[in-house]
Amino acid sequence: MNPVQAAADPASQGATDPGGEQRPVTGGRLGGSKLLQGSISFIAFLVVFLIYVIWLGDKFTSTEARALDIHQNAPVLLLGLAVLVTLIAGQFDLSVGSMATLTCFLAVGLKVNQGWPFALVLVACIVAGLLGGLANGFLVVRMGVNTFIATLGTGGVFLGLSAVYSSGTQVVATAGKPQLPSWFAGTGSLGSLSTKFPAVLLWIGLAGAAVMLFLSVRRMRPPRFAERQWDAISAGAIVVLAAILFVLGLSSWVNAVSWTIAVLLIAALVMWLLLDHTTFGRYLRATGSNSTAATLAGVNPGKETMKAFVIGGLLAAIAGILLAANQGDASPNAAVSFLLPAFAAAFLSTVILSTGRFHVWGTVIGGIFLVWVSQGLIVGGLPFTWTEVVNGVVLILAVAFSSVFQARRKA
Amino acid sequence: MEGIAADSRQASPTTAAGPHDVAKEIAISGLRKSFAGNEVLHGIDLTIAGGDFVGLMGPNGAGKSTLIKVLDGVYERSSGEVRYGGELVSSLGARPEVGFIHQDLGLVDELSITDNLRLGERPLRRFGPLLDRGRERADAARALARVNLGLPVDTAVGALSPGEKTLVAIARVLDRGAKVLFVDEATSTLPPADSRRLLEALKETAAGGATVIMVSHKLSEILDATNRVVLLLDGRIVEDSPAASLDREALVSMLVAREKSESAGAGLHERKAAHAGDGPEALRLEDVHGGAVRGLDLTVRKGEVVGLTGLPGSGLHDLAHLAHGTMRPTKGRVVKPKGARSALVPPHRESQGGFADQSVTENLTISSLSRWRGPSRLLRGDRERADAQAMVERLGVKPADPEANFATLSGGNKQKVIFGRVLMSRPSLYVLCEPTRGVDVGTRLEIYALIDELAAAGAAVLVVSSDSEDLFAVCDRIAVVTDGRLSAFLTATETNPQQLEAFI
Repeated sequence: MNPVQAAADPASQGATDPGGEQRPVTGGRLGGSKLLQGSISFIAFLVVFLIYVIWLGDKFTSTEARALDIHQNAPVLLLGLAVLVTLIAGQFDLSVGSMATLTCFLAVGLKVNQGWPFALVLVACIVAGLLGGLANGFLVVRMGVNTFIATLGTGGVFLGLSAVYSSGTQVVATAGKPQLPSWFAGTGSLGSLSTKFPAVLLWIGLAGAAVMLFLSVRRMRPPRFAERQWDAISAGAIVVLAAILFVLGLSSWVNAVSWTIAVLLIAALVMWLLLDHTTFGRYLRATGSNSTAATLAGVNPGKETMKAFVIGGLLAAIAGILLAANQGDASPNAAVSFLLPAFAAAFLSTVILSTGRFHVWGTVIGGIFLVWVSQGLIVGGLPFTWTEVVNGVVLILAVAFSSVFQARRKA
Repeated sequence: MEGIAADSRQASPTTAAGPHDVAKEIAISGLRKSFAGNEVLHGIDLTIAGGDFVGLMGPNGAGKSTLIKVLDGVYERSSGEVRYGGELVSSLGARPEVGFIHQDLGLVDELSITDNLRLGERPLRRFGPLLDRGRERADAARALARVNLGLPVDTAVGALSPGEKTLVAIARVLDRGAKVLFVDEATSTLPPADSRRLLEALKETAAGGATVIMVSHKLSEILDATNRVVLLLDGRIVEDSPAASLDREALVSMLVAREKSESAGAGLHERKAAHAGDGPEALRLEDVHGGAVRGLDLTVRKGEVVGLTGLPGSGLHDLAHLAHGTMRPTKGRVVKPKGARSALVPPHRESQGGFADQSVTENLTISSLSRWRGPSRLLRGDRERADAQAMVERLGVKPADPEANFATLSGGNKQKVIFGRVLMSRPSLYVLCEPTRGVDVGTRLEIYALIDELAAAGAAVLVVSSDSEDLFAVCDRIAVVTDGRLSAFLTATETNPQQLEAFI
């Protein structure tokens, strides 16, 4: 083992290791290589999609069809964000799929069977999510139960409760029963792909994203470029990127965004602000990175972890509500199979536009790419029952690909 | 539990050591080691005869650990050669006759002594895949007898005392046929009784014909146990004498002499005249108990630097946590003025200080984030980055890139970043644990200057360090923590390192 690897490996870092003192310092190169390293999986996905385009043509490039994929998988992606929060804190939350199933049943059932006012139904779902998160947090933080066991257990309870509530069957609004509000489910509602989000707001959002992107590229200035020069390069890159996106049909994409997709994007935006631009996000990352150091630096890891579980529960509840809106009914185990793709999306974020860091946009993009990779194969003739296999393989390939690439660079 | 206790009739190391059992000579010549062009070992020449008990001493960062790791084969040497019994070897670690005991003993707490001894060994099988437990136990008992450890071999290692664990680790390497033992600071974390027991075992092993090379900071151990003392300074051997020719004072003067020459080389840290030290109280401990601390009173005033030292296990670091507030006293009171904040530089940089996977900025600002929070409750990233950049420049962190990953920094620079975090939180009380552990001389002097600055600016500073140089360089009052209690305070001018060593 050479000293560079020794020092990079936390286990072999001795506090008084003078060898650690002499680590070579690579300041200037980092900006460029990090950018490349973080993009490699992203580029690999694009190559896969390019192959799909050549192979499947219009059947794959159809904006409406691909938007439908995102629309249908919005609850999965929301669950990805739910597990992301706890992953950042260094914990697992395996109960989010069950929580989403439970709130899906509550959202449909409390209206259809109990006839509650729908606003109250939504409040009940949110409260269920918050309480579930609190229960997880309490078990993990206060009781010291292993996070895996705790959330596996609570997940079983949530799923079981949904089965008890529904007597194990589907809950549907049949004639003669109170119906779900027309804005919520059915044609022309929140849950329908044909209900589009106002394009103006999306354009404003995109403009904001372009500015943010410009600012972050600008910060990565390698020392060999003058500031002015790099500003021009960054601005140029953004313009080129925008042009490429327009050629690829950005405007048709903006017009294809349904309310469901918008809910996902808004949730992602809020989570991004929360995790990357607040003290809470920093404390959470510090907790996940080194809980002892966080404590000594004045952070309360228990409190932050607790918050993470509660936010995870809340997002899972929203995912369940969105699922109810999409389907208009609730079926047993509705969201349980979402757990693998949700975790896959969150883990993909560590290799998409990032080097080992969990982040919100990587989760959303990773989740969408995951869906498209399997959808492409299904469009190409693969039976849909293969979806899970494809998800598993893509997750492993993407992460392994990045690890191998990073290990190469280090060696 | 059945448990086979060590049987005294079985071969003790002394009787087992026939002539064929005596270790061969180790000859190291011209050994150099560089990291990225920076030479750490400047040509080590050392010959160790079989049966020698060598005490390897030297301050932090002198290259002791690097030397051991090069010999073990963890690091590749840059040049020079190592011979074992005249035979050229790539590393001593590759030889079955040589065993290395590191501070991390490599034992699994959950497993029994027997199972730990079998780890990595060829399995002893009855037939097929079935293990021969009886033979494993008997072997384990024989191994324990080598170090005079009379414990049931089914005991879980986690239930042993720290000293017993070290003995089990030694038994393991001896049992595998090691005749040369490198023991790297095995006693530094042991309570005195365990240390004595370990030293006895090592002495007996050496008497049986094995070579022992022991790294230690404890003067008394070196004098008591070894027959030869090698002093390593700045990657060179500066002293190599028979232990019998040395006494405590001679050893101390060897260490002090180097401190002077080292300081002269790097520009001696000018000790400022005593800080005012008559400010209002910043911290008062009243009969505080907690951890290893057993009833201790201490007052620190604004504008003064108070230094505490002691051995590991004396309660020194527990005291720091009690003063900072990360440990609650089980008895007694910790009094701080209302609204006073304290900040801590933790003793273990890697495990308690830094966030390895985060940027320098994030490491610097974590304790004072609310300062960059705007009216919208969102962090003002631009201001935060600017402040981090300023701190990086002020402390001379290399690379001067606040976006650099903390894990990529060298030890000294990591320490600077953790110092920067403490400075950024602008506390009224600084608790600095081992502020110069593992940092080079230049950084050391910078840190001393910084501490002087803090006290001059009116802060109260508590320096908790096992390195007496820290205390004499910056502290106004010095005391020793022994067994959880505090000695009387001395001023830095009243005492000297020799006297202080005697107290410890």
